[in-house]
Amino acid sequence: MKIAVQCLGVTGRLAGAAVLELQLPERATVRDALQALGSERIALAEALPRCACARGDSIIYRETPLHDGDELALLPPVAGG
Amino acid sequence: MIVTYSRIQDSTLSLDAMIADSARPDCGALALFAGTVRNHHLLRPVTALNYSAHVAVAERMIREIEAQICAQHAVPVCRVVHRVGRLEIGDVAIYALVRAAHRAEAFAALRAAVDLTKHTVPIWKEEFYADGGSAFVEGCCIGDAADAAPASARRHDHCVAVASTLEEHW
Repeated sequence: MKIAVQCLGVTGRLAGAAVLELQLPERATVRDALQALGSERIALAEALPRCACARGDSIIYRETPLHDGDELALLPPVAGG
Repeated sequence: MIVTYSRIQDSTLSLDAMIADSARPDCGALALFAGTVRNHHLLRPVTALNYSAHVAVAERMIREIEAQICAQHAVPVCRVVHRVGRLEIGDVAIYALVRAAHRAEAFAALRAAVDLTKHTVPIWKEEFYADGGSAFVEGCCIGDAADAAPASARRHDHCVAVASTLEEHW
């Protein structure tokens, strides 16, 4: 399957792109996607354990299954206000 | 007339709209907080900020925080709006408003609403410095961001106080 990863906040800078495409095996989870991302983008790897992930308007967890065409957003530590 | 407005906005925030939208005859307290852009951070001169957000998640979460604060503090009105985009020194980044029958619960609810928003809503701040550099401010991990990561990697010192609330929230 192919998914798009939206790199928000500092992750965009670390990844060198706002959006990345990722090829994953069928039945891959968020955890699998993050492992693949960390392997592809070394500069991003260290930040990934501190990132939450979102799909649509929902936070999703490491064990959540992904589907072809999903858009996964990386949410690094927040600093509003 | 009830005014509907986004909680994440990309232009100057309007306190007037929030006040007009929230007026109630049974409330004797109106507590307000405004967060403005300051010109320094950790002794480094700051010239401007850029806020960005995951708008869909941030909108939903701010509305959930408002509802949670109303329930926990028994106040009838809580509203939070946050700005995104480039802000100059002195610009307002966030307004929070609480109306309550009395001031004690209004102040407590207001503080809780601001703290929860700052520590849990996916909004990021990039600072621009007088020396030409810039950096993202490292804040709090959100949700079960890293459900497999050690706690030391997940939480920033000042986030511990809201951790239990977060776990209830998600």
